[in-house]
Amino acid sequence: MSKLSSIQDAVQSIENGALLALGGNALHRSPIAFVLELIRQEKKDLSLIKTAGALDVDLLALSKSIRSVYAGYIGFEMLGLAQNYRKGVQNGEITVYEHACASVIAALRASIYGVSFQPINGFDGSSLPELTGLIKWISCPFTNKKTAVVAALKPDVTIIHTNIADEKGNAYIDGSVYEDLIMVKAARRTIITTEKVISSTEWKEKPQIPGFLVERVVHAEKGAAPGSCAPLYTIDDHEVHSYLKNPKKYLERKVAVSHV
Amino acid sequence: MSNVITVEPADYMTVAMARIIQDGERIFHGVASPIPAVAIQLAKKLHAKNAVYLSIAGYVDAVPSQFSHTSTAGAHLGEGAVSEFLLSDIFDLSARGELDVAFLGGAQIDQYGRINLSAIGSFANPKVRLPGGAGSAALLPTVKRAILWKTTHDKRSFVDKLDVITAAGNTAYVITPLAIFKRGNQGKLQLYSIFPYSSFDEVVEHTGFPIEKHDHFHKFHPITEQEFTILQEIDKNNTRFSEFR
Repeated sequence: MSKLSSIQDAVQSIENGALLALGGNALHRSPIAFVLELIRQEKKDLSLIKTAGALDVDLLALSKSIRSVYAGYIGFEMLGLAQNYRKGVQNGEITVYEHACASVIAALRASIYGVSFQPINGFDGSSLPELTGLIKWISCPFTNKKTAVVAALKPDVTIIHTNIADEKGNAYIDGSVYEDLIMVKAARRTIITTEKVISSTEWKEKPQIPGFLVERVVHAEKGAAPGSCAPLYTIDDHEVHSYLKNPKKYLERKVAVSHV
Repeated sequence: MSNVITVEPADYMTVAMARIIQDGERIFHGVASPIPAVAIQLAKKLHAKNAVYLSIAGYVDAVPSQFSHTSTAGAHLGEGAVSEFLLSDIFDLSARGELDVAFLGGAQIDQYGRINLSAIGSFANPKVRLPGGAGSAALLPTVKRAILWKTTHDKRSFVDKLDVITAAGNTAYVITPLAIFKRGNQGKLQLYSIFPYSSFDEVVEHTGFPIEKHDHFHKFHPITEQEFTILQEIDKNNTRFSEFR
């Protein structure tokens, strides 16, 4: 059976309060078309997992769709702070579970390995373990060495944007894969948005994501814009600046019509 | 030389970083790091041809034909690379003690080279929520040498007490528009070098923690013509200035 889905149906399958992992890194290949549809359908109380997030998280903060964020970094790099995320946290609307990017990965790996926590080297001298409760110190049962462990993070749904996918869910990322493959393997279910849909008999590339791990495939051309999707398009600086200048106006314009 | 070329603080910071990189070292930079990205290429064209360049893009030894003013996490930083080595691989490399250099930043930096990228005010009720430390809480304690940099040098940035300790560990150098600090006795940062337009008194005036001079304190050796020529070739579109706003 084909796994192809409209973006509307795919988003309807997301429950309020769900824990979502969003693929990509900073302004690169994050599932922006999907995020905008989450906002159109007024999803609430979402929790997000990212290593480094930017517009995706800030849009969902602006629309007051999120309750908490598990991430190492949320910002627009050289363009500055993620202002709506920042305000949401400062107002007490969003809880920040600040990780290191490495401990987001470790927490996802725990889920991949089917265990409830993962040892990680790091965090000595950092206040984050105490402040977030996400990292605890244990004594290694074999060596007695003091070791940091991080609680597992198991996304209800991982959403990643890819370059090519087929009707069976096999998907290929051209360019940087970031943490997407880890997010897919850790999740209860995965939704792919993709620039191009082909038939599973047409592959010239080797898909990194096997279809059996994927529940739905959504055709979403320019689905990462105004972020990049290499090698098809780079960051649309003009659009990103227009967002930063007037986020509400940008969101109203984008929510009014789906381009997918 | 100063009558030949106009040299800006961003140039000094870039050259200072490049000079610290040693041949053969494995080097990483993360998000929002245009000066380190350029400095690594500069070092690889000068004295560190065998340095191994790693970045979030997930490739080894890329030779980007240009840099972005917006981001240092994009796939453009894979240009010219031969093999893949993902961000998760880089964290693992550092965790097992095999990453030589990481470039990290801080909204606040204290005299022990610890950083705050989490919040101004308290973590739970922040006055300003900051982006977060990205890789730093895992990298700073495990990398062999961390090089910190900050494009503003003032008492709000270089503080006696951090609002939140996001990360602590193996800070070796801190590079600012005025000076270079080096970790010395008792793990404290000491003033190691000052740029030609800067002075000891100016650094003291703009730093929130007590300044000690390093045993090898010196005026920064002028940027050579070769360094400046190659720097301009590498960073044709002047991204090293994009952190100065």
